[in-house]
Amino acid sequence: MSVSTHVPSEKLAIKKPVANNAFLRIARYVLSRLLTLFVTVVIGIYLTIVIANMGGYVDQIIKGSIRDRVTQAVAASPSVQQMDPAVRKKLIEERIALEEKRQGLDTPIAVRNIRYLSNALQLDLGRSINLTSDSGSKQVRLIILERLPATLLLMGTSQLFLFFSSIFIALSLSRRYGNFWDKLIIALSPTSAVPPWFYGIFLILMFASALKILPFGGMVDSPPPSNTFDYAVSVLKHLTLPCLSLVLSSFFLSVYNYRTFFLIYSSEDYVEMAKAKGLTPRAIERTYILRPTLPTIITNFSLLIIGLWTGALFTETVFLWPGLGRTLFQAIGQYDIPIIVGSTIIYAYLLSMTVFILDFIYALVDPRVKIGK
Amino acid sequence: MKQKSLYAVFSLLMVFSMLLAACQPATSEATEAPMMEEPAATEAPAAQQEPTPTDRRGGWLDEIDFSVVASDSAISQLQADAIDFYSFNLASDTLPAIKEAGLGYTQSFGGSYAISLNPAVFNDTTVLNPFSNRKIREAMNWLIDRDYVNQEIYGGGSLPKLFSITTQLVEYTNLIETARALETKYAYNLDKAKEVIDAEMLGMGATLGDDGKWQYNGAPVTLAFLIRSDGDGTRQPMGDYVSNQLDAIGFTIDRQYKTASEAFPIWQGTDAADGQWHMYTAGYLPSGLTRDERANFQQYYLNTSVQGSEPFLSNVSDPEFQQLGDDLAQGTFSNKEERDDMMKKALELSLEDSLFVFVIDQQVYAPYNPNVSVTYDLAAGYESSFMGNYNLRFNDQEGGTMRVGTNDLFTQPWNTIGGSNWVWDSNVMRATTMGAGNVVGSGGLMGDPYTGLAWPQRIESAELTYQTGLPITQSLDWLTVNTADQIDVPADAWIDWDASTQTFVTVGDKFPEGTTAKVKSVVTFPSDLYETITWHDGSHLSAADFVMATIIFFDRGKPESPIYDEAAVPGLNAFLPSFKGIRIVSTEPLVIESYSDAYNADAELNVLTNWPLSPTGLSGENSWQILAVSNLAEAAGELAYTSDKADVAQIEQMSWVGGPSLEILKKYMDQAQSENLIPYEPTMSQYLTADEVTERYANMQKWYEEHGHFWVGMGPYYLDQVFTTEKSLVLKNNPNFPDPADLWSAFSEPKVATAVLDGPGQVTAGQEAVFDVTVNFKDQPYLPNDIQQVKYILYDTTGTVVSVGEAEFVSDGQYQVTLDADSTSQLQTGSAKLEVAIVPIPVAIPAFTAFDFVVIQ
Repeated sequence: MSVSTHVPSEKLAIKKPVANNAFLRIARYVLSRLLTLFVTVVIGIYLTIVIANMGGYVDQIIKGSIRDRVTQAVAASPSVQQMDPAVRKKLIEERIALEEKRQGLDTPIAVRNIRYLSNALQLDLGRSINLTSDSGSKQVRLIILERLPATLLLMGTSQLFLFFSSIFIALSLSRRYGNFWDKLIIALSPTSAVPPWFYGIFLILMFASALKILPFGGMVDSPPPSNTFDYAVSVLKHLTLPCLSLVLSSFFLSVYNYRTFFLIYSSEDYVEMAKAKGLTPRAIERTYILRPTLPTIITNFSLLIIGLWTGALFTETVFLWPGLGRTLFQAIGQYDIPIIVGSTIIYAYLLSMTVFILDFIYALVDPRVKIGK
Repeated sequence: MKQKSLYAVFSLLMVFSMLLAACQPATSEATEAPMMEEPAATEAPAAQQEPTPTDRRGGWLDEIDFSVVASDSAISQLQADAIDFYSFNLASDTLPAIKEAGLGYTQSFGGSYAISLNPAVFNDTTVLNPFSNRKIREAMNWLIDRDYVNQEIYGGGSLPKLFSITTQLVEYTNLIETARALETKYAYNLDKAKEVIDAEMLGMGATLGDDGKWQYNGAPVTLAFLIRSDGDGTRQPMGDYVSNQLDAIGFTIDRQYKTASEAFPIWQGTDAADGQWHMYTAGYLPSGLTRDERANFQQYYLNTSVQGSEPFLSNVSDPEFQQLGDDLAQGTFSNKEERDDMMKKALELSLEDSLFVFVIDQQVYAPYNPNVSVTYDLAAGYESSFMGNYNLRFNDQEGGTMRVGTNDLFTQPWNTIGGSNWVWDSNVMRATTMGAGNVVGSGGLMGDPYTGLAWPQRIESAELTYQTGLPITQSLDWLTVNTADQIDVPADAWIDWDASTQTFVTVGDKFPEGTTAKVKSVVTFPSDLYETITWHDGSHLSAADFVMATIIFFDRGKPESPIYDEAAVPGLNAFLPSFKGIRIVSTEPLVIESYSDAYNADAELNVLTNWPLSPTGLSGENSWQILAVSNLAEAAGELAYTSDKADVAQIEQMSWVGGPSLEILKKYMDQAQSENLIPYEPTMSQYLTADEVTERYANMQKWYEEHGHFWVGMGPYYLDQVFTTEKSLVLKNNPNFPDPADLWSAFSEPKVATAVLDGPGQVTAGQEAVFDVTVNFKDQPYLPNDIQQVKYILYDTTGTVVSVGEAEFVSDGQYQVTLDADSTSQLQTGSAKLEVAIVPIPVAIPAFTAFDFVVIQ
């Protein structure tokens, strides 16, 4: 009786379909997920467009504002005052028509909405209506790109510091549950109800107005230093207060959240078992507490990273920080729809990509998660 | 337990400190109204210095650093010495905080607020609109206590306003006795308001219910009040106050708090007869130191208003007022006396119409540290002043770096044809230019910040001729003024532009039979103009700069032009009918004649220099070469001067100071230099030599390499560095500027008079009484040559004007009012009041003083 080393053909026949099924399952999942996300993005963007122009009501507002502006300007001209009223009225109407054309108001709102949506989906951000970039461009892409570094610097510094320091301190507190520092953090966590711009005003009063050791606002001294080192020091000086206000406003609540989160995992049976086995606290933390919480931490971190994009509307405004948040704030105030849509579309794409990638990361870090099942 | 207490105390401390901060009032308590007080900073020591001669050229400062500072922190930043001057105007409720901080400040007009009333009879006849009744609208003037509004809402820092003309400025001063009499007549009187409104409401068929509320057709008379909740936040309490007053006399108020964007479509966007609103808290921005406000009656009350929309269209005014308002706006009067009489009558009738019930002329303030001296426009402040940057300095110091904070910078791209017109940008631009005289085309003159008139800066002489009978008056003697029955325009004067041949159309071409003009101005520039005046890049000024600025104004509005911009057409079309020609009589010395049918009431403001300043009325000067290079970029479709054209063509709007424009302009600068390009060659070649062309482009290249931008002027400061993203810029002193820094020092501060009135506390009716008036400026007598008039107004015990007259000059700063027996015999027993108004020449603000006395029989 001979022993064959060949794999039975039946086995192969059974194994191959399993691989194909997995591939198909993932492919099907990817396709359906992408499609769902795309539809979500389309709906989100369209809603943004409709809300941004209040279903066309903004047109009335802008037209009224144009009429007011043009008539005031014409009325202020002495030569126009001596004109025949009919000629003057014609002049005003011509100017109004020109301005309405410039702002695209001569095109029906439905057509404009579809155009906004189509361009947005193709990442053609178009041109703003009124706002310009600091350097004078009306291209939304340039307006956003110009402000992006400042926002990333502020938000990146504050949010990354906040994230890592919160986790580190929370882990530490979860080990020393009930001690003085733990109670202090709990006691101070309601202070996070105060928005960052409020802390900002406090900090300005304290460090800029009273102590005069930090600047009131802006991103760099005026005029900006000419050499790179001094420039960096100046930026750092200006970054301190807005960064601190963003951190302070969330720090205690963030630590409290993570500390509670880690405490829940710390009281699982398998953690108790590990303690009973005599493992070191560090090993327990890394293997038995941090590992199962990884999906949540990664999710938070991912959302934090894309959240950097939006900037901090009010904090940037209080500190005159030339970031995207302040630009968006101005755009909302001026009904500059292309900028609002431009900012939203990028966030929507980033969010959907993140959600999509996170699905795979969950599967990698957590063996219990299977894609497509 | 101890720890818990500690936490509790700590937490309470935190919460308490936050509450404390949150509850801190935005401003301190109301202070007294500044009405009739000196408008200038009282504490600014600089203003008290005598100008000292100096050899310094250009501006007083070595450097001015402008940056953007939040208005909320402006006072704190000044106190912390982070800035020296916050140049953007702050609202009047900040005045107490400014004073408390010990800062100096400028004071100017920040806009006016009024209650706009719906004059229409509603389509729904079951609903009563009380404001369709003119008498009720008029009674609203008695209903509103403007002093209360000023004290409680505006911190006492503004001026109660009754008229459509600006309170206490030029027109008001001219009509002083009428204005004061009407202010007395319409002083706050709730009982009178109620009496008139009650009578009219009953007459209109309304009834007063048992609850004290007006009813019509069985329903309460409800007034829809659109109250603006945005802006500086003062319109909401003002609207609430008016609502309370109306509520007190029986109306039911529907207070609708709305932002501008929500309220505007209802206020002006709906048919007034639809009845969607009854009242609106309207606001208007200041238009600078306007000397001529005769068109305001038409603009604010009549259905022929320039605004051409509701609620004006629905207003049916008294025919006499309609005629007066239209005639004043159209200039249908033959002389100043007739005009003044019409204005007086229109003032009176406007209050009887009261489509708008004016409430406040807001005053605004720009604070600065006590070691700073600031010259500012009385109407619009420092940032709108032509002289502001010339006189800006540290006290007792030449040179130094001043740190100026403002509200924003680079809000729109900078170019002089269609670029930024924001006040903060324009202010910086003006620092880089020669002066301008408050009207377009008057560069090289200097606008007087206190009267709105103009002074010569770069011209040798000027002569004005106007058609006999026009109501034009001369105040200053630097120009020669003549009249003529007919002013013929020479056939070789330029009257239009042919873009296809790139040559001017002459009067002879356009009007072979000849044409006439209403005014003619002839300006002669100094013989050394081209040697002494240089652009910041080192190029000498030439006649070509003047010609180019003229060409570009026409060319952009011509469809045949490569730089045609349809946005330029309405302006050009509006200009052409009144424009009658321009003629360069000679280039050495440069003599330019201008002919026009449009005119100002002040002779000084009719002098047109055609200086190469922005031809479209923006700020900034334009050398011919920057326009030549910019035109290349515009013609190639890569950049556009105006945002209109840029948006339609989907290209960048041109910026001479930053952004993507710079690379494009650099490309065309290289091209122009390599071709030694003469723009509009058929015309410009007559004014340019090849050497000048070569030198200009070389200087332009050098300037761009050194400064990284194309902003070049001829003013006392040049734009050294621009930081668009950081929102800051650096101006440096121009040592080549021809004038000494102290040339305009006489204008360092407004010469606002103070007056004291003294006399007998008891006057017998029917007997003569004499009162003494002392008029000073900073404790020194106000010289008689600087005083136009000292008028007195006598009021009886009811506040009715009994007599008006002029005080007699006694000695420097001393005047005497003599009330004759006839006047005093008209006074009843009781208290009476004598008011004196001093109308100075150097400033447009009058001074008032009053004296109460007892009348016995």
